[in-house]
Amino acid sequence: MAEIASVQLKVGLEIHVQLATRTKMFCRAPSVACREFDHKQSEPNSCIDPLVLGLPGSLPVINREAVQMAMMVGLALGCSIAPLTRWDRKSYFYPDLPKSYQISQYDLPLCFDGAIDMPLPGEDGRVNWDDYDTKRIGIIRAHLEEDAGKLLHEAPGGLPIDYSIVDLNRAGCPLLEIVTHPDFTTADEVVAFAQMLRNICRFLGVSEGVLQKGHMRFEPNINTVITLTDGRLVKTSIVEVKNLNSFKAVRGAIEYEFAEQPKRWQREKVEMSPGSKSTRGWDDVKMQTVLQREKEEAADYRYFPDPDLLPVVVDKNWLEQTRASIPQLPMARLKRYIDDFGLHAKEAAALVDERDVCFFYEECIAAAKQAGVESGKAGKAVANVLLQSGAKRANERSAGASAGSTEQVLISDLGIMPKQVGQILAMRERGELGSNAADELFGLLCEPGQAATDAQALAQQRGMLIVRDDAAMGRWCDEAIAQNAKAAEDVKAGKDAAIGRLVGAVMKLSGGRADAAGVREALIKKLRG
Amino acid sequence: MSTPPTNTPAALSIEAVRKVAKLARLSPTPEKAQRYQGQLSSILTYIDRLRSLDLKGVEPMASPLDATSNLGADRPGPTLPTSVLMDMAPQKHEPFIRVPKVLGDGGGA
Repeated sequence: MAEIASVQLKVGLEIHVQLATRTKMFCRAPSVACREFDHKQSEPNSCIDPLVLGLPGSLPVINREAVQMAMMVGLALGCSIAPLTRWDRKSYFYPDLPKSYQISQYDLPLCFDGAIDMPLPGEDGRVNWDDYDTKRIGIIRAHLEEDAGKLLHEAPGGLPIDYSIVDLNRAGCPLLEIVTHPDFTTADEVVAFAQMLRNICRFLGVSEGVLQKGHMRFEPNINTVITLTDGRLVKTSIVEVKNLNSFKAVRGAIEYEFAEQPKRWQREKVEMSPGSKSTRGWDDVKMQTVLQREKEEAADYRYFPDPDLLPVVVDKNWLEQTRASIPQLPMARLKRYIDDFGLHAKEAAALVDERDVCFFYEECIAAAKQAGVESGKAGKAVANVLLQSGAKRANERSAGASAGSTEQVLISDLGIMPKQVGQILAMRERGELGSNAADELFGLLCEPGQAATDAQALAQQRGMLIVRDDAAMGRWCDEAIAQNAKAAEDVKAGKDAAIGRLVGAVMKLSGGRADAAGVREALIKKLRG
Repeated sequence: MSTPPTNTPAALSIEAVRKVAKLARLSPTPEKAQRYQGQLSSILTYIDRLRSLDLKGVEPMASPLDATSNLGADRPGPTLPTSVLMDMAPQKHEPFIRVPKVLGDGGGA
């Protein structure tokens, strides 16, 4: 009997993205995935209207914004956009589905046949931005549908109940379902793709991508190809793991199935065939997948065109407007920052990680140029100040935020304006501001109520500008030499290293307002003539 | 997601009728099931006749109507008070609808 020689993993990914429209997919009740939606204030079953409840006589009206957002994602993933797209009913009975059907798209999806090049993670699971390979991931389709309601198995406050309860606030919210080809061969690749997709959706402004809130849910379709010692190939039956809402769960489920499927095959000898696919859930505590109901075959959903909806036409105008509205995506920006601004890969990656930070960075560059910073230097100079003075304060504020809060304070949220960052850098370039003073000024401008403050005027008012006063410089140097006689002797004797102590003393005496390079020059002139 | 079925047999078995009925939560009497079998089979036979046509180069019809959808602006409109839903619910655990215990998080999607 032949034994297992090797096992190859094969994964395709389905992703559901809640689109952040203000209203639902087919009616104008508020949608829970919207940025402005206040979860704390909205009671369960309050975002409802006759259509959400599937009441007789209610008719769906397609949300134009949802179609637009779906097209943006489709275009970003290299998809073709159907000029004519249709809506179908997928029928099944479940307590979270008031109409007993979900409006979806079956054979004429909005977006189809795409592909995107993904930077491949290295052995540590992270992309090495200085040196990486890419892999092309095929996109089968991306179609629009509506979400179901939420089923809860315990009452609010964790009270046990021996029944289930339903909240329909989520029912009818727009979902974009993206389906990839089974092009992934490691769990790392799937996670890297999921992270990239999240970043793209955030850049496009179609989702905040907060996984804990269910903004994105992942469903990997996993199987393995086993090579036996006699050379025969066996494909294990496909397992779809439903509703994963963290990258950790995605990785865990895939790694578990990769290890488990060959054993399962040895026990049960079930190979891949039509109808052999099974659906499993993920147990986050036990870190294993659990068998769920046998998935109904597509035909069992009895898809048919929704008689209440007409096809949607995407004309050339709309398509081109949408294409033009897509901002440069994170990968392309990262490359531009490295190539054009001379940033290190790590710096560039830190700046493109968050859409708001990235846009803020570019606004600061424009402001710096306007304030007189040399064009070729602005990108690097802004990156330095944001990743030092900015990141430091953003981290402090994040750590200081209320305990248990996951809200991360971004560099772009500190309060300082791009114009002010530009002014600071211009003062630095003109030699008017020392590096410590620049950092202090940055901090002052992050304080509340400083948005309209002129950075130059504030620096002047606070006495932060470098003093170009030869008499004062002379006094500070004399005093520093008097205080540090030994160091002064050493400098006189030609020991350059000793001058640091004297420069430090002068800077201290000047309150940081002396120009360090000028101080050095003045001290040498005094001591060595 | 699989492609639409293309090999439905023209004559529908009584078991197939029962299966479809079950999926739709219907329990037809034996007489009705037989009647549906005849009616559904004749529809499928008609579809088969259409299939025999050579439709190469004919654009698929997305809808029998010429009209296309008007799209709605993404502006919030009126909602129903939760009490309306509570009044309609056969069982409730306010402000939720109460249903028999179900496992898992969703039936489809």
